[in-house]
Parts: sequence; structure tokens; C-alpha cells
Amino acid sequence: MRRVAVIGVGVTRFGRHERSSAELFAEAAREAIEDAEIRPEAIQALYYGNVTGGEAERQLHMGPLAASLLGLPGVPTTRFETACASSHAAFRHAVMEIAAGVSDVVMVGGGERILHVPTDAATEYFAYCSDATFEQTLGLTFPGVFALIARAHMDKYGTTEEQMAHVAVKNHRHGALNPKAQIRKEIGLDTVLKSAYVADPLKLYDCCPFTDGGAAVVLAAEDVARRHRRAVWVLASHAASDTMFMHDKRDLSRVTATERAAQGAYRQAGRSPADVDVVELHDCFTIAEIVATEGLGFFEPGTGGIAAEKGWTSLEGKIPVNPSGGLKAKGHPIGATGAAQVAEIVTQLRGEAGARQVDGAATGLVHTLGGNTATVVVSLLGRD
Amino acid sequence: MTDEVITLGHFFAEARAGRLTAIRCRQCRELAIPPKEYCPGCHERDWEPAPLRGTGTIASYTVIRVPPRGQPAGTPYAVAVVRLDEGVSLLGRVVDLPVDAVKTGLLVRFLPLVDGQQTAIGFTPA
Repeated sequence: MRRVAVIGVGVTRFGRHERSSAELFAEAAREAIEDAEIRPEAIQALYYGNVTGGEAERQLHMGPLAASLLGLPGVPTTRFETACASSHAAFRHAVMEIAAGVSDVVMVGGGERILHVPTDAATEYFAYCSDATFEQTLGLTFPGVFALIARAHMDKYGTTEEQMAHVAVKNHRHGALNPKAQIRKEIGLDTVLKSAYVADPLKLYDCCPFTDGGAAVVLAAEDVARRHRRAVWVLASHAASDTMFMHDKRDLSRVTATERAAQGAYRQAGRSPADVDVVELHDCFTIAEIVATEGLGFFEPGTGGIAAEKGWTSLEGKIPVNPSGGLKAKGHPIGATGAAQVAEIVTQLRGEAGARQVDGAATGLVHTLGGNTATVVVSLLGRD
Repeated sequence: MTDEVITLGHFFAEARAGRLTAIRCRQCRELAIPPKEYCPGCHERDWEPAPLRGTGTIASYTVIRVPPRGQPAGTPYAVAVVRLDEGVSLLGRVVDLPVDAVKTGLLVRFLPLVDGQQTAIGFTPA
């Protein structure tokens, strides 16, 4: 198997856009091509993450659309859909394609546009990522899914709403340092704690926003990447799934797919949680960050809330989590999120993250979760 | 027997008539909610129907205050994971109880929620 590196990254501003998701991706992809200092025609395949295109944009067959907008009709291309993990799943498959020697240079990314539809419609479309028969019929929303997890975590470990609020405050503080973040405003604990309940015990400020945006990364085989001074190596990319049914999950306070994907990634990379300097993880809700920091092995099960409260996951903490502002403040264009997280870690490992730079970061971890915790992809990236 | 009882259609037809019917693996005795082809425990395909009493306790719950489009019932409403007495769990809408009274550990009983062609899982205080 060949080594694989990221040689270019691009991310649009996150927030409201008047452009289609494929256009947003194409803008990010152009930035990634320029960043990689390659010609567009060097790209041999394109893998594209998108979730709600059919519902929100009346657009399927997005792979060739994305390629066409990029001016690259002719490359093999496929849309990946694994709910919010879509473009990270695309990333993993591109890594395997290059490692296997099928392609030398592959473009991966995603785009999502949702802010032009009413909130109740967006909530409905996102809920399509849970089971249609057992869950959608009950009116279970995504805040509802994570509320069930939050309640279980609170009951089992004594995690508090205030500890969850600390995650939001921290990620907003980080997001204020990110010029491309959707929300660049620091908030206090009271703002979170006094916000209205969306799905008890989760409140408005425990939830990430709806977001339009695009992200892209260029992956290359070792012999191409070696010519790139700023190449960042893919040390591992591992995926796991868990039962699609909330009723079949053995322990609601844990995300077993995170634990399995992380164990696989650490094994593949020959690294441990102690080797990780910076993390971008899937904080679609504050409780999701707490549970992820446990499942990724940074903190013992049940202590993720304490870690958030103590500031151990802040930029200056033991293990900086979501320096970009995370999904919470940077925003969450669901099909683009995985690629955007990879782009942030690459930027951090190159030392180019400006005010939100984690000093000396050499090894980074990316964790992306799909839907009702049924898909997780974890990748480890490193400098030479 | 295996072919019919493992289907979603059979599970919800039974539920509509007020009966919760799980499936039990004849090989390893794993109890499961359909639909499943192979047993998640031993990966054999040898199921028998396993009628459930329909009673259990709330393991986790939430009160949905921002609903998706197209929910007929008014908000807020409670959705709970119920650990059934036999050991499997089911997600259901909690009805006949103010949302503020829903609590972890509450004893509940299955109740089909029938709306036209659709059947959903409900639970009412036991």
C-alpha cells in the first residue's frame, strides 16, 4: 500500500449563501487546487459528499454536476451519503483508492445548502437520516436523538447541563478566531443555560446551526506528495457503523461506532490518544463532543463533562478540541463537514491557523459522526 | 415461520392489533426487534416469534419542542426509549401524561398509535 498525503485544502465561508451546494463545493475545490499548486487536469477522480440535495435542491446525480462545475467532466465521480459523515467517508475511500494504486491524485469534498428552506422542513430532511419506520413516525428529531444520549449520560455519570454549556462557550470562543466561521461571537454560560429548550435537556445553544458551505481537499500518492513542502500525511482512516435503530443501541451513553473507528485508526497509525496534539471532532450537539472525547480515548467514560468544565479541551488545554469553532460555531454544512474538518487539521499541522493555532501540533485527529450515531469515520494526520 | 415474523410488515400489523411480537433466535436465544435476517448474536437464521408483555420502564427520554414538518400532534411531545421487561428496548411516544411528568424509571405499557395507514409505537403509564 502506498502512503497518501493531503496536498491542498479549501473551505468556503460558512453561513448563508445564494449559491447551490455544488457551486459552493466548486469554489472550495478551486481554492484547494490553488493551494496544492497543481493543474486541475492532474485530478483523476472526484468524490463528493452531500446529504439533502434531493430534498432541498431537487438535485441528485451530484458527482458529475460537481465535476462539471469544476470544469472537469470526464473524471470518475461518485456522491457519498453517510449523513453528516458523507465527505469524510468520501475521503476514506479516496485514501484507499490512492493507497491501492488506482489513482495518484484525487479531489474529495462536499457541499450543502439548507438555509433557504424553512426550519421545520430542514428538521424533517435531517430526520431522514434516522429510521423511517421506528423513529420518524414518532417525530424524533436530531436534537431529540442526542437528547436521549444526553439524558442517559446525565443519569449514568452525573453530567450536568452546565458542563454541556461549557462546550458551547469554548467552541464559540474558538470560532470567534476563525475568519470563515458562521458564528464569530463569544458567548457566556448564561446565554447557553437561559436559551430555550429544543429537545430537553438540550437547549438552542447546545445545538449547531443549519449551514450552507463547501469544503475540499486534494489527496495525492507519496511520489507526488513528496514534491509538496506542505504535504500532510494520512496516518490512518478508519470507519465503523453501529445499529441504525436507537432501540437497539446497547448503551445510550456511549457511541460504540466512535470507539471502534478510533481503535482501528490508532492501530492502523501505530499511535495512541496520548500522541494526538489537536482534534476536530463532531460536536453537532454539546453532548456529542463530551461523548466523543471519551470514545476517542482522551478521557475516561463519564468524565468528558468534567474535562469540558475544567477547560482541558480549550486551545490552551491538555488536548485542544475544535480549534476551528467546531460544528457549533464554525457551522455544519452536513455534506461538507468531514472535508472541512480535515482542512482544519491540515491547516493546524502546517502551522497556518493564525490566532487559533495549536502551537507545535504534529499529529491531528478528525472524527466525523453520521446521523443517529450509526456511522463514524476517524482519520489521523501527521507531519513528516 | 422465520420468513414472516422477521418482517417489518408483520411487526407493525401485530402492533396495530395491540401486540408487540419480537423474535427469538432458536440457536443462541437472542431476543430482537424485527426486521433482521440474521441473528446479531450468532449470525444464524433461525427465528421464532416471541410475544412481549408490552410493559417496561423508561430508560431515557426527551421532550421535543421544535418538531419536524408534518407532525400531526401538537408540541411539545415526549419520546422515550423503553426497556421492556423481556430485555429488548423500543422507542415510543409517551402519551396520556403531561410532558413534565415523564421521568426515567417510569413504568409504562405499550399502546399502538394508529393514524390512517400508519402505526407508531406509543407508551402510556402502566
